[in-house]
Amino acid sequence: MKSSPNKGVLLQYWLSGALGGWGGTSDGKHKASTNAGGSVHGNSRPGAAGGGGGKVGLSGGLTQPAGWQSLLSFSILFLACLAGFSSRLFAVIRFESIIHEFDPWFNYRSTHHLTTNGFYEFLNWFDERAWYPLGRIVGGTVYPGLMVTAGLIHYVLNLLHITVHIRDVCVFLAPVFSGLTAISTFLLTRELWNQGAGLLAACFIAIVPGYISRSVAGSFDNEGIAIFALQFTYYLWVKSVKTGSVFWTIGCCLSYFYMVSAWGGYVFIINLIPLHVFVLLLMQRYSRRVYIAYSTFYIVGLVLSMQIPFVGFQPIRTSEHMAAAGVFALLQAYAFLQYLKDRLTRQEFQTLFFLGVSLAAGMVFLTVIYLTYTGLYVRLLTCYAKIHIPIIASVSEHQPTTWVSFFFDLHILVCTFPAGLWFCIKNINDERVFVALYAISAVYFAGVMVRLMLTLTPVVCMLSAVAFSSVFEHYMGDDTKREKPPEKAEEGLGPNIKSIVTMLMLMLLMMFAVHCTWVTSNAYSSPSVVLASYNHDGTRNILDDFREAYYWLRQNTDEHARVMSWWDYGYQIAGMANRTTLVDNNTWNNSHIALVGKAMSSNESAAYQIMRSLDVDYVLIIFGGVIGYSGDDINKFLWMVRIAEGEHPKDIRESDYFTPQGEFRVDKAGSPTLLNCLMYKMSYYRFGEMQVRRGALTPPGFDRTRNAEIGNKDIKFKHLEEAFTSEHWLVRIYKVKKLDNREPLDHKLRSVVPKQKYTSKKVPLMLGGEFALQVWRDSFRFS
Amino acid sequence: SSVLTLLSEKVTQMMEWASKRSVIRMNGDKFRRFVKAPPRNYSVLIMFTALQPQRQCGVCRQADEEFQVLANSWRYSSAFTNKVFFASVDFDEGSDVFQMLNMNSAPTFLHFPSKGKPRKSDTYELQVRGFAAEQLARWVADRTDVQIRIIRPPNYAGPLLLGFLLAAIGGLAYLRRHNLEFLFNKSVWAFSALCFVLIMTSGQMWNHIRGPPYAHKNPSTGQVSYIHGSSQAQFVAETHIVLLFNAAVTMGMVLLCEAATSDMDIGKRKIMCVAGIGLVMLFFSWLLSIFRAKYHGYPYR
Repeated sequence: MKSSPNKGVLLQYWLSGALGGWGGTSDGKHKASTNAGGSVHGNSRPGAAGGGGGKVGLSGGLTQPAGWQSLLSFSILFLACLAGFSSRLFAVIRFESIIHEFDPWFNYRSTHHLTTNGFYEFLNWFDERAWYPLGRIVGGTVYPGLMVTAGLIHYVLNLLHITVHIRDVCVFLAPVFSGLTAISTFLLTRELWNQGAGLLAACFIAIVPGYISRSVAGSFDNEGIAIFALQFTYYLWVKSVKTGSVFWTIGCCLSYFYMVSAWGGYVFIINLIPLHVFVLLLMQRYSRRVYIAYSTFYIVGLVLSMQIPFVGFQPIRTSEHMAAAGVFALLQAYAFLQYLKDRLTRQEFQTLFFLGVSLAAGMVFLTVIYLTYTGLYVRLLTCYAKIHIPIIASVSEHQPTTWVSFFFDLHILVCTFPAGLWFCIKNINDERVFVALYAISAVYFAGVMVRLMLTLTPVVCMLSAVAFSSVFEHYMGDDTKREKPPEKAEEGLGPNIKSIVTMLMLMLLMMFAVHCTWVTSNAYSSPSVVLASYNHDGTRNILDDFREAYYWLRQNTDEHARVMSWWDYGYQIAGMANRTTLVDNNTWNNSHIALVGKAMSSNESAAYQIMRSLDVDYVLIIFGGVIGYSGDDINKFLWMVRIAEGEHPKDIRESDYFTPQGEFRVDKAGSPTLLNCLMYKMSYYRFGEMQVRRGALTPPGFDRTRNAEIGNKDIKFKHLEEAFTSEHWLVRIYKVKKLDNREPLDHKLRSVVPKQKYTSKKVPLMLGGEFALQVWRDSFRFS
Repeated sequence: SSVLTLLSEKVTQMMEWASKRSVIRMNGDKFRRFVKAPPRNYSVLIMFTALQPQRQCGVCRQADEEFQVLANSWRYSSAFTNKVFFASVDFDEGSDVFQMLNMNSAPTFLHFPSKGKPRKSDTYELQVRGFAAEQLARWVADRTDVQIRIIRPPNYAGPLLLGFLLAAIGGLAYLRRHNLEFLFNKSVWAFSALCFVLIMTSGQMWNHIRGPPYAHKNPSTGQVSYIHGSSQAQFVAETHIVLLFNAAVTMGMVLLCEAATSDMDIGKRKIMCVAGIGLVMLFFSWLLSIFRAKYHGYPYR
């Protein structure tokens, strides 16, 4: 490109500020090629594809810079989407096209319901197979955007006679939407800075692990489509503030509606946009454009958001939405004052002004106080982090974020995005105020809770792109700059320094691409339904115990059988085994979960009473002691005890499960309560006869996860019988015997019913949530 | 009847002490008379401790604060009766009690039930449950059937400090009311935004919520390690180092841009440029090596 003959034309284009785009070109290519290569072959070779994109550009429009530019942008954007899509396919290539984790199974199941029974049937769906015997109103307790999107795509494809299974649509939905996210990030960054930064931002967001973590193929979850909706809403908002046209604002409202239908995180938008308007007012940047944009957005957006059944009347009731209303009122007052100012004399106006301002200030102050003390602050600081409500604290995503997580998910971007923020604030305008507020609020939320890293990631990509693009803008293409105005030849820093800086920067970006590929491949691409283990020679074993067990349930049990398990596996049992569950990952009823926890942590006869009262037919547990899988039920057991203790403090006591020294041990020294509780017995039944590692010096009954020989090898059941144990013992299923099979009883005992009352204590509804098996990811080795 | 008078005498005495201090201080004589000696219809919860400064027992002081919170919550609650009393025995005032009970560690919490002898569960499992007042209250509820709702004295320091800060800012703004340009200074705003962002990305919120130690000193070798070995946790010192590194990389990027755009003479700009790229590369690779040390199995340098 540098040897191009037609330099005059190129120069104009470069000097018009689009040079960052050129910078974006080359490393867009690097990343695209790295990831495409990485995902298919498993080893990444940065920069393997030489100058393909560049040549396309050269042949096209040397005489037409605009055409040349758009062709180049288009191809970079396309490559970014492609890279984003293909780097999310690790799991599909290694395993198969399968739904991952826990929540996606529920989403998949409801999408399936939607496509088979139609939209209205889905909205009215009462699922009697979950939360037995309570059931769950699904239509009114989900954000339907995800299911409707997948269902719509499936419908359109089938209309075109491209017959795909709904499962494949679900699996590949998130990668496809990541491409759309890249495009909307490009658009937003272009509005904020310039085209070059936009292209860089698109490349970043396509491969950054912080976003990939929620959007790999198979992770069919709300966040996958919500980030696209978030970015697109912000783009349309910035556009409407810039133009002041109702057209863009209505677009923004529609996009906001989509976001509301997709994810609970829409609250972030409805607080950030009013904040933007408020700060613009404070900075005396009020204009008609802002007035039109916000007034339209608030009213139309409010009405639209209330159409989602799950949201309902929340937007006019709850404190999270009050800031938007307050700012709306303030904006009207401000506009009215402006109007009066033109009509009244100075003296009259001043009196009115003071009256109005004091009123408005008081109102805003009250709103903010109210908001701070009841809403966001309490929710984010006190509730999630400080008071350890066991069921919330037990979810690993609700923890605060260490710097390692930041670095792991964002790598170079985390250190460079403050520079982008600096540039934005130094050259402030209306829309850069927005991005600065976005960055500051998102970084706060990401610090409080790991899962909100997701909302930080897009803004980090955008601001880092701004930083890198401003460096490339000044340090690339030095030759031409110096040739043009000979009298200003002294201006440059010299080609040597410039090329060194450029090289080093490109190297950093290359490291970033390599890091992203590695993280995606190693940390975020395991389906957790199918496990893989590696031998010493690098060959892979697939452990398919989960699906084996679920399929067994599906084939060998009664259609209406009720399966008790810990809540993590509820969605999977419903989705894969198609059986009724007692509790699942939608942890809306704490007392029901506590009851299951109590059954698991009581001794067999007490547990049997609970299980009888809940009509349990089968009990399913996860046991990792044979293969050394650390995410099993014994390791989660203390949470069961804690949750049970929260509701039944008289019957279950956490301290009973510890040794006098305060240790949690499964061997002989363990506490007798633990060694005789139902969970322990079910996990280790017949395990005492088993020699796990042949040839090694371990005794029979050696638990590889906890590295201990179990303390109770003589386990006999009275009310249960083993029904199924999977190949690697990962899943064990027990059948609860009917009363007939008990030893002969006289009729007095039969009338004994559980006397304790199960008091119910409501815990606020949690937004989804699954157990991340991070511990396992770090430590699991199979040899 | 003499037993009854003795009992009522004892209860009156205890009530009188309890009305003065919610935690009754006991020495050997008092302990033997009011806790050990038979006619007794009240439970006593005793903290055995060593609060004298020369004992240098930091845990005792913290446990004492929590115990005071517990006792005060009981003393000033509407359900206060003469069924339960809180008392403490200091090692330096009642070492004979320690000998009598064959006790060699402090702090220890014991419950002396109104009837019968103390059992195993009347010794509070400090190692397991910690000494938070809430945990102690649960133990008390468990042993004596007295429910105590913990009421902590509200901490006025935070709001007071905030109010003071706001007043100071307001005062400053008022004093400089003819010269408010600093409010429009972009660098000030940009700088404070950067500070906030850097504080957050270096994990200070984690520190705030989890309260880790500043650094870890290995007791056997005396070596101080500032970096936590696991990727799941961090020390305060470590986050400060990371904050500094992040700031240095950011500054490097800004310097690079300044070097290309400012109108200073060329020599200075070259120095700026070299310094900028140096900062970026040096501190980023440093950061990467710390990350590598923490995240086991990370293959790149």
